[in-house]
Amino acid sequence: MFSKKIVLAFMLLVGLYSASYAENTFSKMASGKPTLIQEGQKKKWCSVCGMNLKMFYKTSHTAKLKDGKKRQYCSMRCLAVDSHEHNISLSSIQVVDVNSEKLIDANKAFYVLNSKVKGTMSKVSKLAFASEDEAKAFAKKYDGEVTDFKTAFAKANASLEKDIAMIQMKKEKKMYPMGKKLFEKKCQESINPMDYVEINQLKSAIVSNKLCQPLKEKQLQAVTLYLWDVKRVKGADEHLKKIVVNKDEKCPVCGMFAYKFPKWVAQIFYKNGQTEQHYSFDGVKDLMKFYFDAKKENITEILVSDYYSQKAIDGQKAFYVIGSDVSGPMGNELIPFEKEADAKTFLHDHNGKSVVTFDKITKEDVFKLDK
Amino acid sequence: MSRKINLYLVEYAINALFRNRSKNIFIMVVFTLLTALLSSVFFITGSIKHELQSTVDALPQIVVQKIKAGRHYDIDTSVADEILNITGVSEALPRVWGYYYFENAGVNFSVMGIEQYAQQYKKSFDTVVNKFDFDELDSSKQMVVGEGVKKVMEKNYYNKYFNFIKPDGTFKQLSIAGTFKGDTKLESNDMILMSTENVREIFDIAENKATDIVVKVPNPEEITTIASKIKLLYPDSRVITSNDLQVSYQNIFDYKSGLFLALFTVALFTFFMIIYDKASGLSSEEKREIGILKAIGWRVDNVLKEKFYEAFIISFLAFLVGTLLAFAFVYLFRAPLLREIFVGYSQLKTSFELPFVFDIQTLFLVFFLSVPIYIAATIIPSWRAATLEVDEVIR
Repeated sequence: MFSKKIVLAFMLLVGLYSASYAENTFSKMASGKPTLIQEGQKKKWCSVCGMNLKMFYKTSHTAKLKDGKKRQYCSMRCLAVDSHEHNISLSSIQVVDVNSEKLIDANKAFYVLNSKVKGTMSKVSKLAFASEDEAKAFAKKYDGEVTDFKTAFAKANASLEKDIAMIQMKKEKKMYPMGKKLFEKKCQESINPMDYVEINQLKSAIVSNKLCQPLKEKQLQAVTLYLWDVKRVKGADEHLKKIVVNKDEKCPVCGMFAYKFPKWVAQIFYKNGQTEQHYSFDGVKDLMKFYFDAKKENITEILVSDYYSQKAIDGQKAFYVIGSDVSGPMGNELIPFEKEADAKTFLHDHNGKSVVTFDKITKEDVFKLDK
Repeated sequence: MSRKINLYLVEYAINALFRNRSKNIFIMVVFTLLTALLSSVFFITGSIKHELQSTVDALPQIVVQKIKAGRHYDIDTSVADEILNITGVSEALPRVWGYYYFENAGVNFSVMGIEQYAQQYKKSFDTVVNKFDFDELDSSKQMVVGEGVKKVMEKNYYNKYFNFIKPDGTFKQLSIAGTFKGDTKLESNDMILMSTENVREIFDIAENKATDIVVKVPNPEEITTIASKIKLLYPDSRVITSNDLQVSYQNIFDYKSGLFLALFTVALFTFFMIIYDKASGLSSEEKREIGILKAIGWRVDNVLKEKFYEAFIISFLAFLVGTLLAFAFVYLFRAPLLREIFVGYSQLKTSFELPFVFDIQTLFLVFFLSVPIYIAATIIPSWRAATLEVDEVIR
């Protein structure tokens, strides 16, 4: 009798545990065979980002272009991206119902936003349900709010810029380097990404034509992204390098050896007759002091070191933060950044006064830094 | 002024050394032992410092762990993507690894998962990845072991493969594909590298979890800012920066070198006792010898030169033999007793070799601590005796 109770209690505990476990691990993957509406081999992947549709099936959307072509997306984010590039009739959009895993009309679907489930390529997940009751039940379990397609789509469009920036950061820091390594080791060099119109076309060609040795899905995605985003846009492949300074180069303004301060090094290249020469500086402040008195027409290039990445960037296109709590070898500095967003983050983190572009830097600003 | 070495004086000095054979042998032995002790202390500290520094240099700049109920817990791999979005971070890599306790040998192996095509946070891994393809190793059930690990395994008759016991009690057999050399001896002594999938299987780590996340920050000045941002983003995390680790390593080292300092002081004290004894005066016999030398026509500077040669020969010979002994003791025999002071029994179970670091400065330090002092201690009393009137000394 007693042992039976224990067994029952144990089973109950196990049951409870597995139930709570299941709650934390909502899978966006299709449980059965997903409905894929695109044609040919490429139907397995999203037409915009190339991600595997089976893996992200429960956030998947479909649409018809004005010319009749069918497209399927991994998420509402990719749909939003595509709607800016192509003419999509909003009435043709369909979405996967989370519970039945069938395609339903998106305009009639009920969306749960901001639930605990992580978004696909977006900070906020947008899951669709056929009926309001189902959506409410889901929202009760995983939190979130119930809305319709229009509001959800508007929100996706509103957060699009941020989402793209977020994904781009991940691609640049993680996927491209990985894709490059894989491409160089496992793939045929002859792959020309220009031959393909859509990213999923390229991806299916890699698989079906065996352009690469067998790859796992994640690796395949990395190679495809590298080929699509980096190789197709020529020149983007050349990753920026650090500024190189010889040991005998002194800053012409303050006389200090520039190589001792690799974090701050900046250079001006100028034409001297036929040859090109350069000066190295131990900071942008000294570079500017030199620049104000220099003959501008001889200057060919200005390089500065990006504060965050430490890579060499074009000084004339960079953004500078004035008056922060970070000081360089010569005290207060103008701190250079490649991206404006980075400069703003720095401004916020280090009590900066303002962000300026190269042409807005005045003599007054620079000499004020020394006071 | 030509200053040729007077070979007759040198000959006389050597003969004088032999005349007082027993006394000089005793001085020589004590001197040799002292220089040997001093220089081995310096050699060991130098080597360990070098080893620690290279360990610290190889450390990732920021390590992020998840803490639950005060204990380390597996972290979501999605956290890495989130960290990657912080400006100033260039890499955020989830690591899958753990300690595997090998009961037969009583040692812990660090089992490390390697992803072939992801960025590697360590230079030594880059070379390993170039040599072995971990995707292929995964499908052929192989692993790469550190040189020290290989020895431990061979001692336990695991020559070609090793059986890992998984948490559910079943075996996971992996064969040894080869060995690798780490940046530091410490590293290659206990590390096993294999594909991430295999590590997940051995330690039962879920697909979307990792042991910790290492973060790379190109500008070291930003490390603290980024560490605090991560902490704000994930309040349940423990964020360890390389500076923190360096400080704690340094603390252990400093504590241990305190013990060495005690040894060092004792050795030096003994040395100065002997010197004091010598400098406090010459025996009447030695005084008489100087007196006779002067009586037969030696000048003061001849006497001093002869005494200088005597002292120099004995002290320099002792110094040379002492340092050579120390070299052999530390680097050939791996400092059997002294090492125990540094390598705590509990901190490191697998033995590790002291890397050979030749530092000319320590040699000079030992030289100037011993040879000139001994020479001075011999010459000064001789000079005092030599400047006295001859009849006063002989009488």
